Amino acid sequence: MSGPPRHVVVVGRDVDLWLTATALRSAFGPAGVAVTAIELPSQLSPASVCATLPAIESLHARLGVDEGALLRATGGSFSLGYNLVPPAGAPFFLAHGAYGAPIDGSDFFGFWLKARRFGLTAELEDFSPTAMAARHGRIMLPDEDTESFGRTDYAYHLPAIAYASLLKSHANRLGVVMHPALEVGVERDSETGEIRALSPDGGPTVTGDLFIDASGPDAILIGDALGVGTEGWRAFFPFDRRLTGRGKRFASVPGYAEVRLSPTSWTALYAGQAATPVARAFHGGQEDNNVAAAAAAAASGLALDNVAITPIEPRIRKPAWSGNCVAIGASACAFDPLFELGLHGIQLGIVHLLSLFPATVHAGAERVEYNRITRSSFERLRDFQSAVYLLSGASAAAPESLLHKIDTFLARGTIAPMEDETFSPDQWRVLFVGLGLIPESWPPAIDTTPPDRMKDGFRKILGFVGSKVREQPTHDTYLADIAADRTP
Amino acid sequence: MAGPDSKFRVVILGGGTAGWMTAAGLARRLPRDAYSITLIESDEIGIVGVGEATLPHIKQFNDMLGLDEAEFMRATRATFKLGIEFCDWTRPGERYIHPFGAFGEPWGGVQFQHHWLRLRESGRNPAPFQACSLAVAAARANAFALPDEDPSSIRSTYSYAYHFDSGLYAPFLRDWAMARGAARIEGRMATAERDSDSGAILALSMQSGERIVGDFFVDCSGFRSLLLGDALDVDWEDWRHWLPCDRALAVPCDHGGDGLTPYTRATARPAGWQWRIPLQHRIGNGYIFSSDFISQDEAHETLLANLDGAPQSEPRLLRFTPGRRTSAWAGNCVAVGLASGFLEPLESTSIFLIQAAVIDLIDLMPSPTADHAIDPRLADEFNRLTTMHYERIRDFLILHYVANRREGEALWDYLRAMPLPDSLAHKVALFRARATAPEYQFGLFSRDSWLSVLFGQGLSPQAYDPLADTFDLDLVDGQCGDFKSRVDGAVAAMPSQREFIASYCAASESVAA
Repeated sequence: MSGPPRHVVVVGRDVDLWLTATALRSAFGPAGVAVTAIELPSQLSPASVCATLPAIESLHARLGVDEGALLRATGGSFSLGYNLVPPAGAPFFLAHGAYGAPIDGSDFFGFWLKARRFGLTAELEDFSPTAMAARHGRIMLPDEDTESFGRTDYAYHLPAIAYASLLKSHANRLGVVMHPALEVGVERDSETGEIRALSPDGGPTVTGDLFIDASGPDAILIGDALGVGTEGWRAFFPFDRRLTGRGKRFASVPGYAEVRLSPTSWTALYAGQAATPVARAFHGGQEDNNVAAAAAAAASGLALDNVAITPIEPRIRKPAWSGNCVAIGASACAFDPLFELGLHGIQLGIVHLLSLFPATVHAGAERVEYNRITRSSFERLRDFQSAVYLLSGASAAAPESLLHKIDTFLARGTIAPMEDETFSPDQWRVLFVGLGLIPESWPPAIDTTPPDRMKDGFRKILGFVGSKVREQPTHDTYLADIAADRTP
Repeated sequence: MAGPDSKFRVVILGGGTAGWMTAAGLARRLPRDAYSITLIESDEIGIVGVGEATLPHIKQFNDMLGLDEAEFMRATRATFKLGIEFCDWTRPGERYIHPFGAFGEPWGGVQFQHHWLRLRESGRNPAPFQACSLAVAAARANAFALPDEDPSSIRSTYSYAYHFDSGLYAPFLRDWAMARGAARIEGRMATAERDSDSGAILALSMQSGERIVGDFFVDCSGFRSLLLGDALDVDWEDWRHWLPCDRALAVPCDHGGDGLTPYTRATARPAGWQWRIPLQHRIGNGYIFSSDFISQDEAHETLLANLDGAPQSEPRLLRFTPGRRTSAWAGNCVAVGLASGFLEPLESTSIFLIQAAVIDLIDLMPSPTADHAIDPRLADEFNRLTTMHYERIRDFLILHYVANRREGEALWDYLRAMPLPDSLAHKVALFRARATAPEYQFGLFSRDSWLSVLFGQGLSPQAYDPLADTFDLDLVDGQCGDFKSRVDGAVAAMPSQREFIASYCAASESVAA
């Protein structure tokens, strides 16, 4: 048979399943591609939260999911980034936006580094409209001024049950065929080994041309049925248990996440309108479940309900696409839970599958390219997380690519450019500086800029940040406006 | 050891295009109170100067220096370049242009080539792929105008480079760099003096007996690679099995024939290919060939039989090995230009590689410290970036050869059958399967460049992006036709390259004046 797949079968649960099914049907439905979703029982709890990255907005736009409607339906809130509290040293803000703007045509960071050497006390985040808005309880809405300054962006904290439910009804409206199932039987072609059909709960079989494994870390198709293995990342990510729970909401809802780091654990708060979901990663061998629950409550300062503890096993599938089966989400790459990158991992899988949707069922070249590009993208995300573990003293090991980045940064203050990055050079630098790395030199070219021009540049940026932050509504006001559908 | 108040001494060995681009770039961007820049060259040593055709990036370099474009063009007898024409590469009589510009427009997030393939497969008879590029259409019409910065204008869909006399570019930059503090020392190096413990280069001893002490040395000595290759003995990675051409005969000739074309031409020949680079006052030509497949005499004859006008001198022979030094930066020495590696000028990348090295060197230049020690971590990053540039360009060059259909010619038969680097084999397979071409965030070449050569070499995609099928066919057909007429309208309004140069940048003694 030639031509693209006519029928795609997605097996999985929750956001992984419904985001994938919706995206495929929305993109290829107009070309007549049918999508069937086999829905496994939910693993979400009221404490589950989807902490997104800004990129999700473009996927939502592609799917026709409107921001206001999304936030009203889910009770979600905005996140301008992460307030990181290191084991030693001051908290710092890792924002979804730019830090400073070029001075005299050169990158801002070198000037900041130089000025610090000569006694400047302003932190990097003082030069970021996004970070400062978050610190002042405000939102930062991009406009023409901020566009010309640099990137200002935001993400969301979405209660996961409501978000999955919204996506599911969207899938339903688009004509995705749905089968609930507790178990799924897999029928393979005896010659090629490819998947021929699936039988939900032993019922009538569902045949298809392409099968998507969106079953999370269980990986019931690509792992259990096809036996495709994984490469473990335990060496970089020592914590093997994750606790999730839910505390009461803050009177004023912070427009950001907070991660409190220690060499033996971290605790994260994802503020929301209805509650404050909390996550904690730790060593199972050092804390039993009761100790971990008490520690999570103490570290977050919140009494927690809906507490659950699950194993963490960071690993990447090798490869994510095998035969006629594509793994999307944690079945392809189970990230360490730091920064909640799982949803972004799903998005990367979806976006690359949309742009490499097989032109013929054989899909040989697409498979190779998909596996190359998703692996590269996942490794860059892994490196970003690994930097936190390495530099906060939780892990002694790190990938070579990260060590090279750190070396280049220490030597010159620049971020070695690599393809397929999610986080910007500014975000990498803020992370490195916040965790105690101070570069030993700056690009000598900035020394050609006269000191007065440099100081003038600093003043202009600080002035812009201050006035832009004051223009913004508070996060609480903005959320109330959205709830009442009063935003432009 | 240097005292705390002394400058960090950068010594550049060699004064060709690489040497003076390095000197000019460093003089422009490095603080003069902290760095001294000294260039050693000898009037007795000629420069290779093959790189007369450039890529659009050169304008960024000139802009960084603050050069006045018209002045630079007058001084180097330069012409404009919208792309490269490849003649007879698939089979004799066939030709295509690799333009410095886009093909069509992406509609609905789907790249143009997919819409175009779908139109063709649906029997809609779209304009030829080549015709869906303003840069190609302008080149074919021998027309030129500066691009428009307004992104809604069809004239924003291309960029341009130059053909220039690199024998004039280096002196132009020399004057510029020396006016900004770079020092020039006339003479030839005898030996490089090295520290017996660290192996670092301490000084260059000149044949005159003079001793030039430095903290950091830039090897711009060309193919001889006197410092990185000879003195430091850095390994050479040989790529001759993929790029078998190892000789070139170069000769300038009078104007005539096709005149002042706004593009470089590369014509396939039995044992290699011939370049044609029109400058204001002459045409640069050369036959680049594999010595395994043709004698020098035969190549000489072929070259002289295929010129626009009378030759202005005897052809000059150049010998080279395609490949690169495994580390462009070792210890306190970095090589720029031919001393670092050689890739045949099929895609005009020689000067780009110099430029990329200069820009990376500015960013990663060691800082003056108390003992002027060189941080090896800076070298690691420089070498990583250099490897990326070389390997990507290498793959793109090989692509031109693999899909040839010049059957029965020994060199071309070999090229069709040779095993490819994995990175290239994958790109070819992906294009054949679904017309998808690579897109890098860093380095060369752009997706449109890849598409021009993939389509140009006659590789036929078996399918296109299935997303294209979700669009209304009539609408896409209309958009494609509309795009084509906007291209044609814009080209009709452009002056010829000859007229444009005459009014903009004509040198005093040139045919365009």
